[in-house]
Amino acid sequence: MDGVSYQRFPKVKIRELKDDYLKFELRDTDASMANALRRVMIAEVPTIAIDLVEIEVNSSVLNDEFIAHRLGLIPLTSERAMSMRFSRDCDACDGDGQCEFCSVEFHLRAKCHSDQTLDVTSKDLYSSDHTVVPVDFADPTGYDSNDQQRGIIIVKLRRGQELRLRAIARKGIGKDHAKWSPAATVTFMYEPEIHINEDLMETLTLEEKQSWVESSPTKVFDIDPNTGQVIVVDAEAYTYDDEVIKKAEAMGKPGLVEIYAKEDSFIFTVESTGAIKASQLVLNAIEILKQKLDAVRLSEDTVEADDQFGELGAHMRGG
Amino acid sequence: MGLMHVDEPAKDYQNEQLLDKQKLAAPVKSAVDKFQLLPEFLKGLVKQHLDSFNYFVNVGIKKIIRANDRIVSGIDPNIFLRFKDVRIGQPSVTVDGVSEKLTPHMCRLSDMTYAAPILVNIEYVQGGHPEKITMEKNDVVIGRMPIMLRSRCCVLYGKDEAELARLGECPLDPGGYFIIKGTEKVLLIQEQLSKNRIIIDTDKKGNVNASVTSSTETVKSKTVIQMEKEKMYLLLNQFTKKIPIMVVMKAMGMESDQEVVQMVGRDPRFSALLLPSIEECAGLDIYTQENALEYLEGKVKRSTFGSPPSDKEGRALPILRDVFLANVPVCNNNFRPKCLYVAVMLRRMMEAMLNKDAMDDKDYVGNKRLELSGQLVSLLFEDLFKTMISEVKKHVDFVLSKPSRSSKIDPSLYITRDSITIGLERTLSTGNFDVKRFKMHRKGMTQVLARLSFIGTLGHMTRISPQFEKSRKVSGPRALQPSQWGMLCPCDTPEGEACGLVKNLALMTHVTTDEEEGPLVSLCYCLGVEDLELLSGEELHNPNSFLVIFNGLILGKHRRPQRFADAMRKLRRAGKIGEFVSIFVNEKQRCVYIASDGGRVCRPLVIADKGISRIKEHHMKELLDGVRTFDDFLREGLIEYLDVNEENNALIALYEGDATTDTTHIEIEPFTILGVCAGLIPYPHHNQSPRNTYQCAMGKQAMGNIAYNELCRMDTLLYLLVYPQRPLLTTRTIELVGYDKLGAGQNATVAVMSYSGYDIEDAIVMNKASLDRGFGRCIVMKKYSAINQKYANNTADRILRPDRTGPGAERMQHLVLYYIILVSLTYPCCRYWMMMDLLLPGEIIRPNDIYVNKESPMETRGSTVSPMGQSDCKYRSTRQTYKGPEGETCAVDRVALCSDKNGDLCIKFIIRHTRRPEVGDKFSSRHGQKGVCGTIIQQEDFPFSERGICPDLIMNPHGFPSRMTVGKMIELLGGKAGVSCGRFHYGSAFGEPSGHADTVDAISETLVKHGFSYSGKDLIYSGITGCPLQAYIFMGPIYYQKLKHMVLDKMHARGSGPRVMLTRQPTEGRARNGGLRVGEMERDCLIAYGASMLIFERLMISSDPFEVQVCRVCGLLGYYNNKLKAGICSTCKNGDNISTMKLPYACKLLIQELQSMNIVPRLKLAEA
Repeated sequence: MDGVSYQRFPKVKIRELKDDYLKFELRDTDASMANALRRVMIAEVPTIAIDLVEIEVNSSVLNDEFIAHRLGLIPLTSERAMSMRFSRDCDACDGDGQCEFCSVEFHLRAKCHSDQTLDVTSKDLYSSDHTVVPVDFADPTGYDSNDQQRGIIIVKLRRGQELRLRAIARKGIGKDHAKWSPAATVTFMYEPEIHINEDLMETLTLEEKQSWVESSPTKVFDIDPNTGQVIVVDAEAYTYDDEVIKKAEAMGKPGLVEIYAKEDSFIFTVESTGAIKASQLVLNAIEILKQKLDAVRLSEDTVEADDQFGELGAHMRGG
Repeated sequence: MGLMHVDEPAKDYQNEQLLDKQKLAAPVKSAVDKFQLLPEFLKGLVKQHLDSFNYFVNVGIKKIIRANDRIVSGIDPNIFLRFKDVRIGQPSVTVDGVSEKLTPHMCRLSDMTYAAPILVNIEYVQGGHPEKITMEKNDVVIGRMPIMLRSRCCVLYGKDEAELARLGECPLDPGGYFIIKGTEKVLLIQEQLSKNRIIIDTDKKGNVNASVTSSTETVKSKTVIQMEKEKMYLLLNQFTKKIPIMVVMKAMGMESDQEVVQMVGRDPRFSALLLPSIEECAGLDIYTQENALEYLEGKVKRSTFGSPPSDKEGRALPILRDVFLANVPVCNNNFRPKCLYVAVMLRRMMEAMLNKDAMDDKDYVGNKRLELSGQLVSLLFEDLFKTMISEVKKHVDFVLSKPSRSSKIDPSLYITRDSITIGLERTLSTGNFDVKRFKMHRKGMTQVLARLSFIGTLGHMTRISPQFEKSRKVSGPRALQPSQWGMLCPCDTPEGEACGLVKNLALMTHVTTDEEEGPLVSLCYCLGVEDLELLSGEELHNPNSFLVIFNGLILGKHRRPQRFADAMRKLRRAGKIGEFVSIFVNEKQRCVYIASDGGRVCRPLVIADKGISRIKEHHMKELLDGVRTFDDFLREGLIEYLDVNEENNALIALYEGDATTDTTHIEIEPFTILGVCAGLIPYPHHNQSPRNTYQCAMGKQAMGNIAYNELCRMDTLLYLLVYPQRPLLTTRTIELVGYDKLGAGQNATVAVMSYSGYDIEDAIVMNKASLDRGFGRCIVMKKYSAINQKYANNTADRILRPDRTGPGAERMQHLVLYYIILVSLTYPCCRYWMMMDLLLPGEIIRPNDIYVNKESPMETRGSTVSPMGQSDCKYRSTRQTYKGPEGETCAVDRVALCSDKNGDLCIKFIIRHTRRPEVGDKFSSRHGQKGVCGTIIQQEDFPFSERGICPDLIMNPHGFPSRMTVGKMIELLGGKAGVSCGRFHYGSAFGEPSGHADTVDAISETLVKHGFSYSGKDLIYSGITGCPLQAYIFMGPIYYQKLKHMVLDKMHARGSGPRVMLTRQPTEGRARNGGLRVGEMERDCLIAYGASMLIFERLMISSDPFEVQVCRVCGLLGYYNNKLKAGICSTCKNGDNISTMKLPYACKLLIQELQSMNIVPRLKLAEA
C-alpha cells in the first residue's frame, strides 16, 4: 500500500482568455477531478444576486412575483462574493440578512411619462455598493455602443405606469438557486487523439478521400491541396460521433483512422454570466474545491472525526 | 398565353439546376401554391356560427315575424295589431330609462347579458266601439335578443385590432358565443339526421324501413313505411296500428292498382314485391277511396285533446293531408304528389330489398345536418314570439270582454318585453331547450365557453354534439366515416363514452344556411325539368330519364340529367344561384338531387377543367397583392363549395400534379382535413393515430395565454404560463389560428435517455436550474366574490371595519380602508362615496385570512325594518375567509366592485398564486405523450454535451416503441435544426410534398451543416461522474405543454377532521377535508390477510365508534340515563339487563331506521 503513490501534478494551459470566456487544457488528471471542477463552477462558486424584493408601487403589466423573479436572475458583479458572508451565518445582523456584511441594497424607481414605452432595465437599479452592480454587457469596443439602454430588460412601462421597489441582494451558491450560478456554460471534453493510417489512406482516390473527409459533420480533416494528403486540421472539432469510422467501414477500409480519447487530458470551456470573470471563476472554483478537501483532511486529523464518522473515520486514517 | 406559361418554368428549371441542388432534390412543387387562400378564407375562425346567426338576424327573424304578423282580437275582429317590420338594434342596456351602449367586455365584467333590443314597426287599431283609429308606431321594443359576438349586430363587427383593443377585446378571439349574465355561453353545433329526405334502412328485426322526418314551418312528423312479412305498411304516430300501404294509396284517391304498379315501375320484380300488399288490401275489401277512409277512421288514435273532427272530412283525411309526409304540399286536396312520393319511397325500398347496396347509411355525413346557433335561436324566438302574441290576444280579448270599459283599447300597450327577453336569456343560460311547439326537449345545448387555453376555446366552438345519447353501445356512429374527409376532423374526438360521437369541424368546413327555394324551383323547370303534374305514373320511371328531387321534394324528371346538372353548376359558378346550392346526380337511384337547405357541411375546392386547375399563378399573385379576395375566386368560378353529396360526382385530386383528364377538382391544402386542435401537432401523419386524438384532448388542458385581454377578465379560474413560447416547430394551422401569438407551452431541450429510475412509466426528470430560470412556471388566478346582499325586509348585509384587537384580528390585518367614489353610469355628475375595508392589490394573503369582514342580519324576512336603526346584536358575522393551499402564499391581484344582477354590491377578488413545477405536476408534448415530473435534479448532476448543452428535461426512451410517435422524433430533429439555423421549421400534416413540412432529409442536412450528427444524437457526458455515456443520446428541443393537473390542487391527507352529521363517519372528498376510505376491496385484502385488529381499527375506531346500551332480554337499544348513571331499556322499562357495547354509529343508525319501518333487528349478545 505504502509504496505506490497516486499523486499527480495536474497542469493547466490556457488557450483563450476573455472576460467572460475561458478555454483551457487540464492535463495529467482524470475525469473525477475535471468533473469536480466543473460541478463546483456551476453549483458552488458564490455570487451575489437579488434575493428579497419589497415592492412599493407596481402598476406595470407584470405582477410582483414575476418582476421579483426577473430581478433575481439579473447577474450582479460579484468579485466581493468570496469575501462576503452568507446572510445565514452573519453575526452582525443575526441572520436577517440586512447588514452591509452580507447584503447589498438596490433601489429601482421608474415611471413612464411619455407616450413611448419605457424600458426598465438593469441600468435602472441603483446599488448601495458600487462594487455590486448589474453586469454591463456593453462591449467597450462593440459596434453598437451607441445604444445607451443596453441593460437587461426587466419590464416595459406605458404612460402612467410606475415601478418602485427596494431589493436586497445576498450571497449564495448555484446549488440553492440557479440565479447564484456564475457559470453560463461549463463543459469539458476529452482531447481526441487521431491517427490516420497513411498507407491505407493512400489507396483511396481523391474523390474517395473527399467524401470521407466530408462525412464528418464537423471540420476535423481536410485535404492538403498540394499533396493531396488527408490531414487533421482540428482534432478538437471531433465530436466523437464515429461518423468517419463508420464511413471508413462502409468504404471497405476499416482501420483507416483510429481515434482515441486521451483519458487524462481535458479541454474545458467556461463561459461566465458576467458576475465574475471567467478566469476568476476557475480560480474560485479551485479555491472552493481546496476548502472542501480541507474539510476532509481536517476531519482526518481531529479526534472528533471518530465520533463523527466512527469506523469510517478510522478507516480513512488507515486504521 | 397558355404556351408562354409552359415555357417559362422550363427556363427557370435550367437556371435552378445550376443554382440550387437542394431544391432539385425536393419533390416538384405543385404548379400553384394555393396555401395563401387559407388565411383569406379563415378570416373568421368560427364563420359557421357567425353566418348562421347573421342569417337569423337578417332573414330568419323577418320570416318569423312575417309568418305571424297579425294579432286579431277574437271578440272584435276589427281590432288588430300588425307587425310591419322587425330589426335588431345596437346592443344596449336601459338603466333608469336611459339606454346605454354595451360592449362585450362590460358585460363580462359586470355580469350583464350582451343583448340588443328587438325593434318592430307596428300598425294597430286603437279605440273602442264607435271610433277606431289606425295608428302606427315605429321601433317598439318587444324584447332583447342576446347577440353573438362578432356577428353583424355586434359592436365588434368589422373593427380592426386597435379598435378592438380600445373595447377591451382580444383581436384573436373568434367570437361566435353569447354573453349571458356575464358568462360566455356557446350554443353547441347539433348533429341531426336530414329532414325531409327518404332514408332506407333496416330495423332490429331486419325489416326494411323507409322513413321521412318531415319538417315544415308548421308541422313536424315522422313517416315510416315498413316491409313486414313481404307486405308493406305505414307507421304513423297518429294511427293506432300499422296501415297497409295500399289502403293509404286508395285513401289518397289512387284507386287503381294498375296505376300504383306503374308508378312504382313496371319491372316484374317490383310488381312481384308489391303483389302481397295489393292482395292484402283486396282481402280487406277496400276498393274505393271511401272504403279506405272508413277503414282509416277506425285506426285514428283518439287524442284526448285537439280539435273535434269536422263531420265533412272525418279525421283520417286531414291526417293524411297535414301529418303524413308533411313536407309534400297538398294544394286543393290534390294528393297526387303525395302518391308519387309514396311510390318513389316504395320503389327505393324494393330496390334496397333486391340489392342491399341501395340501403342508406345513417352515419353518412351527407345524410346529416348540423344545426347551428342561428337556427336554434330562431326556433326559440319563434316559440317565444308566438307565446307573446297569444298573450297579447288573450289580454285584448279579456279587456274587450269586460262589460264596461272606461278607456280606449290600445293593443300596442299589451306587448310585453319581458317574456321574450327572459325566455331567451334563461334558455341560453341553462341550455335546456324546451320548445313545446316543436316537441323539442333537449338539455345541455349551451355550455360555458372553455377558457382554459386559447386552443380549448377554439376547439369548443367547433365541437359538434351528437344526436344519440352517449350510452348506446353501437360502433357504427362512432366509426370514422370516409365521407368525413375534409369536413370533420378525423382526430379530434374525446376518449371514453362520447368517443366518435362528439366530433369537431375541420379547418375549412362551412355549414350552409337556408336559401330561397322559389327561384331555384322555377329555374329547374326552365332548364327542362318535366313537371310532376304532367307525368303519368308510367312515365315516372322511364329508363332514359332521371327524377329531379329538390330539397327532398320531387319536382319532376329530366331526360338529360348530366346536362341539366352541368347547366345548374355553370349557373352556380357564375354566381347566378347561391354558391352553396348542391347538385348531385345519383346514377344508382337515377335521381338528380338539388339541395339548398341549411345545415349541410361543405368545403371549398379548386375547380379543374380536364385536370387543369383554374387557379393560375397570376391569380395567387393578385391575392398576395391584395387586389383579389377569396370571394373573387368564388365569383369568378375558380373555386366552389361542394357538399358531401356533390363530392360523389367529383373526382378530386390531392395535388395538381396528380390530376388526370377526368379530374374535376383539386384540393386546396391537404392539411385542412384536420381541425384546429389536431392542427397544432407537428408531423401528425407520422404518428400513430390515437396519439393525435390524445393530443387533441390534452391541448385543451395546456396552460399558456388565453387571450390578449386575459388580465382584464375576471375568470373564475385562470391558468397562465409565466414565459409562454411559440413552438419552434410550427405548422401552418398554428399560424392561421394564432397559436404562435397565444402559445401554451415552452420549447424544452429534451434528452431521450434513462436517468435515475425516477423516469419509469412516462415520468420525466427535470433540471432544477431550468425550473429556477422559469421553465414551467405558472400563475393560477382564482376568483372569490362577496355579495353585499339586500333582503326583503329592507335589511342588508354590512361590511365592517376590521377588529384590530378581537378574535381573529391577526387574520384581518391586511384589510385596508378604501374610499370608493361611485359614479353613476347614467348620470356622471351624480356620485356618492362609501368607505369599505378591502384588500389592497398586491397584498399577500394566507389561508384562513379574512377577505371580507361582513355581517348579515339575523332577520331577513317579515315586516320591513328601517335599514339604519338595527342594533349590532341583530347581525351575525358572515366573514369570508380565504381557503387556499396550506403553507403557500398567494397575492391579491385585483379587486373589483360592481353591481350584480339584483343590483346588490358585489366585490370580486382575484387571488394570484405563482407556482413552479414540482414532483407530480403533469406535462405533455404535442404527441399525446403525457407524463408527470418524477424528480427534480440539480444541474450539475444533469448530463451535458461537449458544447455545453444541458437538457431541461429527460424523457425515458421506453415511451417511444409502443406509442410509435415518430412525429415527436421528427419534431426534435426539426427543432434542433431550427435553433441551429435560426429559422422556424414547419411540420404541417401531409405537408412534405407541398413544402409546408420540412423533410427529414433536409433537416438532417441542416443539422450536419451546423456540426451535429444527422441523426440528432449527441455524445453526452454524465454530470455525476464526468465520463462519456455509452450511447449517443437523442437530444433536442421539443415543445412541452404544462397541463392544468397539479399536485398542489390534488394532494390530500388527513388525520382527524370533520365528520358527516348523519352517520358520524369522516367526510368524503378533498374539498371537505375528507378521510381516505378503506373500501371493500381493501377490506377484502385485510380479511384475506387475517389482520382482524386492523380492520377493526379502520372500520370502527377510526371511523364512527359509538357506545350503545343493549338490553340482553329484548335485544333492543336502550339509552344511558345520566341522572341514574345507568343504562335503561325503554322497551322493558328497566335497567336490569343492560350491556354496554361499542358499535359503529352507522350500524346504530341502520337499526333505528329499520325500526322506523316496522322491522325489529334484535341484538343477541354472547359472552366474549
